[in-house]
Amino acid sequence: MTVGPDPVSQQAHPVSQDDVWDALRSVPDPEIPAVSVVEMGMIRDVTVEGTTARVVVLPTFTGCPAIDVIKTDVAAAVGAVDGIADVQVELSFTPPWTSDRISSEGRKKLAGFGLAPPTGEGPVLIADIGLPAFAVCPFCGSRETVNENPFGPTPCRALYYCNACSNPFEQFKAV
Amino acid sequence: MADTALVDLLTALADDELVLGHRHSEWTGFAPHLEEDVAFASIAQDEIGHAAAFYTLVAELTGDDRDRLALGRDHTEYRNAIICERPNRDWAYTLARHWLYDTADGRRLEALERSSNESVAALATKIRREERYHLIHADSWMRRVAGGPVEGRTRLIDAMALAFPEAVGIFEPVEHEDELVERGVLPAASEQMKAAFLEEIRTALDRLGLPTQGHAHAADAAEFVASSSGDLISQGPAAREPAEASSNGVGGRSGIHTDDLRQLWEDMTTQYRSNPGATW
Repeated sequence: MTVGPDPVSQQAHPVSQDDVWDALRSVPDPEIPAVSVVEMGMIRDVTVEGTTARVVVLPTFTGCPAIDVIKTDVAAAVGAVDGIADVQVELSFTPPWTSDRISSEGRKKLAGFGLAPPTGEGPVLIADIGLPAFAVCPFCGSRETVNENPFGPTPCRALYYCNACSNPFEQFKAV
Repeated sequence: MADTALVDLLTALADDELVLGHRHSEWTGFAPHLEEDVAFASIAQDEIGHAAAFYTLVAELTGDDRDRLALGRDHTEYRNAIICERPNRDWAYTLARHWLYDTADGRRLEALERSSNESVAALATKIRREERYHLIHADSWMRRVAGGPVEGRTRLIDAMALAFPEAVGIFEPVEHEDELVERGVLPAASEQMKAAFLEEIRTALDRLGLPTQGHAHAADAAEFVASSSGDLISQGPAAREPAEASSNGVGGRSGIHTDDLRQLWEDMTTQYRSNPGATW
């Protein structure tokens, strides 16, 4: 078929929310391309009314510089869904994005990317020192790791060193 | 018509974070060691991101542009607390201010999490989770320097004598604060937050073995240190750089600033002023 969209068949097969979710699963986190924005838990809601899709995105960190790129990528991917003519992408802090929103699949992919997934829920603190207690080394799986800096190259990353395999690595911060 | 009182509050919050974030960013490439270079660059990015989120709320209320609010105003229009605009001076001053500011900011965010304005409450909740890392950072350095060798501790005492009196300016109320408190937008009055902050800081300073009265006790900080000949000599604040006279840290919320802000502003807004409204 080489003809354009047929309004009648569109009515017969309206776009579902699942179609939009499928499209969103193809949108990578621009700073961690191995993981999708869905696996990162950044998509709060998807609603479809007729040919208009509305997507609510929860920023991981308030100051994340990738947010504008994510908005553009989400709009492009959803806009490419057959039958969607208009996409509204909104940012929200309700509820706040927290690192426990990352799916188990997302955590595996983070580790595969060389980025240790966040430990536990919220910062796991050593009472006196106040730094995240440990991270699991994404290279050898050891917990014999030390936090070298609670801050890293992006707002969401902390720096660790693995005493078992002698590799420095980064952890996606628990927040 | 825009909610003037709320706009003033959000502008003060945004300006604090932007201006201090800019000061923190000045350590990039110059911090005493690499990990702190990374830490201050990251903290600066967080603070400037928080400012952007507050400016976004202002823009939604007034129809203004977020970038113009951040960088397109005259320096006399900024509403940040004086302490945020002060130069970094040395590492000790930077640390003292970082610790005082983030402790004060924690008090403020704790109150704003309960704001009757849902957007403000949601943003404060999000920001507070991130700010915890700043407090962890500041606390661990305070312990390290306060419990370390004499030079570091003495410098920290001097820095605290400069920074502590001005830190109370963070709680200088914005105009019409009473109205915001009454509406539940700001669930705690500045006076109330200031009292809690002062008690928290004095308790913490006491635990760290540092003077708790700012200027008044700085002179007591003299230490006996070994000279090159091995003799013990008394070294107090007088032997070092004299503390400069400062205002009491108040005035920023009504646009009365020191020349430090003008200098910072010249630097911070150069790019924006060269081509206002440009899209990058």
